[in-house]
Amino acid sequence: MLEIKNLHVKVGDKEILKGLNLSLAAGQVHAIMGPNGSGKSTLSYVLAGRAGYDITQGTITYNGEDLGALAPEARAAKGVFLAMQYPVEIPGVTTMMFLKSALNAQRRARGEKELDAIGVLKIVRQKAATLNVSEEMLKRALNVGFSGGEKKRLEILQMKLFEPKLAILDETDSGLDIDALKLVAEGVNSLRDPSRAMLVITHYQRLLDYIVPDRIHVLAKGKIVAEGGKELAKELEAKGYDQIIKDAA
Amino acid sequence: MTSAAVIALPTRRVEEWKYSDLRAALGDEGFGSGFARAALGPLPQGLECFYLDDANRPAWVTDVYGTLKSNTVSAVSLALAKGGVALRVRKNQAVEAVTLNFSGAGHVRALLVLEEGASLTLHESLSGSDTRNIGFEIVLGANAQLNHVRLSPAAGAAVQVEEVAITLARHARYHFHNAAFGSKLSRLEMYIALEGEGAEAHLTGVCVINNDHADITTRMHHAVAQTHSTQFFKKVAAGKSRAVYQGKVSVAVGADGVDSRQTAKAILLGSQAEADLKPELEILADDVKCAHGAAVGDLDADSLFYLRARGLSENEARNLLLHAFLEEAIPEMALGLVLDQVNDALERVSA
Repeated sequence: MLEIKNLHVKVGDKEILKGLNLSLAAGQVHAIMGPNGSGKSTLSYVLAGRAGYDITQGTITYNGEDLGALAPEARAAKGVFLAMQYPVEIPGVTTMMFLKSALNAQRRARGEKELDAIGVLKIVRQKAATLNVSEEMLKRALNVGFSGGEKKRLEILQMKLFEPKLAILDETDSGLDIDALKLVAEGVNSLRDPSRAMLVITHYQRLLDYIVPDRIHVLAKGKIVAEGGKELAKELEAKGYDQIIKDAA
Repeated sequence: MTSAAVIALPTRRVEEWKYSDLRAALGDEGFGSGFARAALGPLPQGLECFYLDDANRPAWVTDVYGTLKSNTVSAVSLALAKGGVALRVRKNQAVEAVTLNFSGAGHVRALLVLEEGASLTLHESLSGSDTRNIGFEIVLGANAQLNHVRLSPAAGAAVQVEEVAITLARHARYHFHNAAFGSKLSRLEMYIALEGEGAEAHLTGVCVINNDHADITTRMHHAVAQTHSTQFFKKVAAGKSRAVYQGKVSVAVGADGVDSRQTAKAILLGSQAEADLKPELEILADDVKCAHGAAVGDLDADSLFYLRARGLSENEARNLLLHAFLEEAIPEMALGLVLDQVNDALERVSA
């Protein structure tokens, strides 16, 4: 589903990704682990199409299509979803109104029929219940005054609502206590599906106790330097990034 | 030949007119020799009306007409205007909404008197792309309450100027909302005198301009103790535009317990747009609470990306953010009256 070959990405004048290779098949959950500054967030932004993250070399192919050539909204309509590390606060736009606008924008782009307010509310309510997202939260301005846990739960709610084909979770575990972490992991696990691929980006092994990946890639200095099965996470935890990166070299 | 009336008009060398060069915008013609019109919608019960070009002005008109604080431009309209309208609501009468429409080119005057305990909702609208100078005086008696919504649509190459001068007696309350969409030069100047204890004035406004100019200049004078004012203005400027807010709050000697806030924010779309936001304080009393703030910025890149990554097109995302930005400064009383125009104007700047 996702094929990244020799990817080089510049942010401003600085090269952050320096020849990254990654292959992710439908039905698989892969984890990207790496120390701070290794390029994890850059990878997530470049996959979602953020302006200012320039591909200088290499390709990102998604279902046979050149992903790098598409606008962020076109990627969303084609099933790419990025759960962000820092969801933005947007005063003046209620969460419910945002969800309706986004869902209908995606449906419109795919040539599907738009849903009315009641139709959207019905779906949202049903998905929100399992994530402990209250009606009251949906009425508030998007992410404004939300706790860290509430913001991340809302990201997962959107993921359930949009039903993406490729879901990228950028440090979704950061700032979560253990209860919130379990809730988020349950949400992610409920979306595991043979037709869906997921890329879980994290600094810590902890999240991978709850979302067990099929494969782990270690990202350091803009490249994948080590790969392995789920046991690699334990090894990283025991030895630390420095040692694993040294071993790989 | 340049007439005396034109020479009396300010150039941009006058500090308060620094961002709005009235004389240059008008040229030698000035406001012309015509007379603009003031027209009323259906008269609700309890509202008295007198047309100023009629003979035999009643005492309630002559007592106050032309007495309120005026700038040089308003002095010119006072000297030259022939027509206009005077309105009165008598003591303790509550009157529903009335619409007051200004049209045509030239000078025109209006006067509104709310006697003690009276209340009214006024919907002021401007029509046509005519060069016009409106002078408006408002007198609010003790405990009177006025809700005033003003809609000033885009007026192309016209030069449109209005001065509203208001005086508030004890515990009078004034709520004002302005929705402005600009022209070659458009300016609303408000002089508000809080002259009775407990008087309150609350001003809000939104402005969306595209290759145009819109200036709101306010002077809020707290003459006595325990008076309260708030001002909250938001602007979106696109293309080669200039959005101006100058707000001067003054607190007189001994006016303790005054609470005054003013906030002005602008979003600029494109490198040619300009916003000049200038809140000012002049405080001569000791025990007051005064706050002011101003901010000019671009649309937030993080927010834009977030919305687009969730499927909204760039235009939809910009529109949603601009809409949210402005709606914060539109009070309930104005929503139904100005929202369509705000949406249309945003469509134009996002296109």
